[in-house]
Amino acid sequence: MTDRRRINGPLGGTAPPVFVSSLTSKTTSPAKRTRAPDELRKIFLKTGLTPSASGSAYFELEPSTPTAASECLASKAPALKLTCTVHGPRPLPRSAPFSPQLLLSTRIKFAPFAARQRRGYIPNVGERDLAAHLETALRGVLIGERWPKSGIDVVITVLEGEEDNSWNKGQSGESGRTGGWGMMSILSGCITVASAAIIDAGIDCIDLVTGGVAAVVRQPTAPPQVFLDPCPSDHEEIFAACVIGYLQTRDEITELWTKRSIMASTDDNRANTMEFEPLVDQAVEAAVAARLVLIEAIKESTEVKVQTSQFGHPKNAAS
Amino acid sequence: MAAPTSLPPIAYPGLPLGPSTAYTPGPGTHLHAPSSTIHASLAGRPVLTPQKPPASNPTISIPRLLPPPARAPVPSANVGNTNTLPRVGSVVLCRVVRVRTRQVDVVMLAVGREDGGGGEDVCGDEWQAVVRKEDVRATEKEKVVCGDGFRVGDVVRGVVLGTMSMWLFNDDGDVGGAMADVVQISLGDQSNYYLSTARNELGVIMARSEAGNTMVPISWKEFRDPITGERESRKVAKPF
Repeated sequence: MTDRRRINGPLGGTAPPVFVSSLTSKTTSPAKRTRAPDELRKIFLKTGLTPSASGSAYFELEPSTPTAASECLASKAPALKLTCTVHGPRPLPRSAPFSPQLLLSTRIKFAPFAARQRRGYIPNVGERDLAAHLETALRGVLIGERWPKSGIDVVITVLEGEEDNSWNKGQSGESGRTGGWGMMSILSGCITVASAAIIDAGIDCIDLVTGGVAAVVRQPTAPPQVFLDPCPSDHEEIFAACVIGYLQTRDEITELWTKRSIMASTDDNRANTMEFEPLVDQAVEAAVAARLVLIEAIKESTEVKVQTSQFGHPKNAAS
Repeated sequence: MAAPTSLPPIAYPGLPLGPSTAYTPGPGTHLHAPSSTIHASLAGRPVLTPQKPPASNPTISIPRLLPPPARAPVPSANVGNTNTLPRVGSVVLCRVVRVRTRQVDVVMLAVGREDGGGGEDVCGDEWQAVVRKEDVRATEKEKVVCGDGFRVGDVVRGVVLGTMSMWLFNDDGDVGGAMADVVQISLGDQSNYYLSTARNELGVIMARSEAGNTMVPISWKEFRDPITGERESRKVAKPF
């Protein structure tokens, strides 16, 4: 059944034509990670951008390898752009059963233009899976008992999602599709941005939860190493990756997601055995680094709110 | 009540504010039991309130902040998208949506502030509540007829009943300590709050006649349409 009421873009992929000359020029310079192993991409985070929501936040990761614009219009290193809106706490529908706690519902949606391959509007399995992970990450920080008979909706739109393969690699049908390793970075970003939006909405939390990613990566000359905040297109092969939702004040984890086996990285080089715990520790480190950005973003918006509320309520100004 | 220098100017969730031996956790904070430290649970400016004599420790609380006026849908300071949950004893303003024989269904529009300064927090969403037949007035409860007291569309001032209030505790005792005095909510039934209008100053405060004109109260049980002169019965709130 076609959608007759809206003007939709074409359903199939709409990758712009890549000409032979530019293709060859690009294959000579594959993307390389220029950051240190423990260096994160720069994060931009701002709260309170959606006026109609009770809380909102915008999160952006800079492209890891900025390419010259003149080189090719389409060749752009993948970035990560997320917006999150929080609606509520709002009353539950009449039909809903009684709940003594705040009901949390999360939704993650990729914009049709988020990746090189266009997507439809119907949520797919990957999005639902990410939303379920996000829900576990957030449920642990909310103090739900303070909001009985109410629910909140956390809605995240991925405006630009990371691609597994950069443009430079093969132009086969597989490339340009999000999934796999890119999902790990997206989840980590989602946790951080949702945390900021929930706090902007003024919902009680026990701590700030932030996401962090670390991955075991093959290196051309050295044994496999753990990298923080890996960008899949920067690395030749990722052996295993770990996303974490971490509360620093309490030293607690609300979400842990690992992918693939670390043993895979040790097969070809048995002398350097990688272990699981260092990988998790590194992911925690990435989460701690993201927390600094989150704190600054919250302080910035809170100061504005404190000032305006002082003018609004003479009582507060007097105290 | 000058805030001591030890409290940070801006708190965010998880920030430790002080030991529970020296302070009492108030709204916007929670108690982390293993370390017996009071942590912030909202972003905002912490406020210290001295306690009345029997309890010696001052209370730390973080008032919930409203979005800046530029973001509020109506440029008045107290309107926000964030909801304020009514507590037991809160005076609320609501609109009648349905009148039944045993109860009147209403939706809450605004929740009165409890800090004594007056004013209301406007609800971003409409919270459901009911005024049961026996809560309409204080005397002659058995003779109350819901249809004689309210009409659909009336604006009613009511108070949230505390008869069904619940004391909430967390399973692991984590934030439970703070809960006991922070939250005391009438849960009513599964989706409604129970309201009462059984006081002189509670009841219908604004009503329209059958002709559609705004009416004026003339007695404790009657409104009058100033244009047509018709009288309609209501449970009238005493004007201040």
